[in-house]
Amino acid sequence: MINRMVLQNLFHRPVRTAVSMLAVAIEVGMVMLVVGLTTGLLHESAKRVEGVGADILVQPPGASMFFGLTQSPMPIKIGDRLAEIPRVAGVAPTLFQFNSSGGLNLIYGIDMESFNRVTGGFVYHAGGPFEQPYDILVDDWYAKANHVKVGGTLNFLNHDFHVSGIVEHGKGARLFIPLQTAQDLSVAQGRASIFFVKCSDPAYADQVTAAIHKLLPGYQVLPVREYMSMMTSNNLPALQAFITVMIAVAVVIGFLVIFLSMYTTITERTREIGILKSLGASKLYIIEAILREASLLAGVGTLAGYGGTVLARKIILASFPTLTIDLSIEWALWAALLAVAGTLIGAFYPALRAAQLDPVDALAYE
Amino acid sequence: MEPIIATQDLKKVFRLGKVDVPALRGVDLVVQEGEFLAVVGPSGCGKSTLLHILGGLTSPTSGSVLVDGNDFMTMTDGDRTRFRRHKIGFVFQRFNLLPTLTARQNISIAQHIQGNGFNPHRFDMVVDMLGIREKLNHKPFAMSGGEQQRVAIARAVICEPKILLADEPTGNLDTENSQIVLNMLRALNRSFRQTVLMITHNPEAAAVADRIVRMRDGRVVSD
Repeated sequence: MINRMVLQNLFHRPVRTAVSMLAVAIEVGMVMLVVGLTTGLLHESAKRVEGVGADILVQPPGASMFFGLTQSPMPIKIGDRLAEIPRVAGVAPTLFQFNSSGGLNLIYGIDMESFNRVTGGFVYHAGGPFEQPYDILVDDWYAKANHVKVGGTLNFLNHDFHVSGIVEHGKGARLFIPLQTAQDLSVAQGRASIFFVKCSDPAYADQVTAAIHKLLPGYQVLPVREYMSMMTSNNLPALQAFITVMIAVAVVIGFLVIFLSMYTTITERTREIGILKSLGASKLYIIEAILREASLLAGVGTLAGYGGTVLARKIILASFPTLTIDLSIEWALWAALLAVAGTLIGAFYPALRAAQLDPVDALAYE
Repeated sequence: MEPIIATQDLKKVFRLGKVDVPALRGVDLVVQEGEFLAVVGPSGCGKSTLLHILGGLTSPTSGSVLVDGNDFMTMTDGDRTRFRRHKIGFVFQRFNLLPTLTARQNISIAQHIQGNGFNPHRFDMVVDMLGIREKLNHKPFAMSGGEQQRVAIARAVICEPKILLADEPTGNLDTENSQIVLNMLRALNRSFRQTVLMITHNPEAAAVADRIVRMRDGRVVSD
């Protein structure tokens, strides 16, 4: 009976009900998309680094896990010493260039021969390797997202680059230029930001890592599998803080809308609450009725949020093909939990206020 | 036999801002079980306040109130709510049906709140007696005033309350519907020995009762 009353009340004010559900849906969608985007970007970025095919990453002391933020590149001659370590099959020095005009892009300055030795070489969808200093390779995702074709021109780092080839994605960056060009542009002749080290067998990664530590004390030497496990938001305090803030904003939006919706509901239904009280409804009965109504809003809003999230993901990925959004069951459950909790907290004060209404005053309410 | 309602020197004072406004100034009233009592008096004489106190909707300021052996002066708000749930049925001037529910649901919700579950036998008996079977699936806005009041009476008596408190039950009805409602209250009283305490302005309505109590300025002036 109480459920029927709750349902009828929700249908009685369809616009308010829809707006409340929409707020919960937005809350759920925001939580899932923010987490999905950040984890997706991290995973995808890590996957691309793994896709280079190296077993070990060697970076200068104090380097960031985020490539491109690394300053003070290392002398490239270190690569020769790394290559002499037993069980090392290849070393690819790479200089990162971070382009911020017209979007954020990490560009790898690569030595094609050594990079191919580590990666096994690019798979070309169109065109071929660099032939000129200002040639550039783009991966297929970037090409699709930006409608790039072989023979076209791209302006990066205040220079025009000629697109010489479109390659299969997944080899570290989406954009590649010759190492020498990257060094010239950043006035870092003879230097590299990272060395991708490939072992003759991945089983030797720990052994080779230890040898590199001995050779280059203080340098950041990381087996790729360890790097992969570290690329989570938990290991990136700033990102974790961003996610927390975004989730908090989403929860507060949901809470406030539900609070306002239930508060106006209570005001509007003052007389009805008085009627229920005259029939002998206890405070608990009134609170239960209102919280059930809020729970139903949260439940349907959450389901709408799931649907909206899947739809938004499709739209975002169609518009920005280079993005990755990882939606997980775990975060879907967390989003639902946050939505229900926020809704119940938002509805609790209005429910309490309704329960405490004086029945005589409530019955006289116009 | 113990009276079902007994008040002695019952007083109620409302505080409006910084001013005390006495609504009841010492009401002595005894009602026997099965009686049909009409309380009449001008507006502001305290009739509604008396009804609200007897129904446990508000607490008295002083005096004593015994309803079916329960002393309201010693009862908490929760106790009075429980008492109301099981022993009191209200009928209001403005019908006070829940607008989002059908007539059937408006009647059933009283049983639900009481917690004894749906009693189909009682439901059918009350519905047939009040002649509202055809209207059970209608919402209040789709019913006439008379029909709404009959549904309200059905809701009030569905849980077999000891006392039916009616606050100007014919105040919003035309003569014909007023007579129907009064006849039904009378029938309930006669058929089930239902104690009825009705407040009214209308002398014709009051005439239906077994006994008429007149109030003025918060006191009973004739009985």
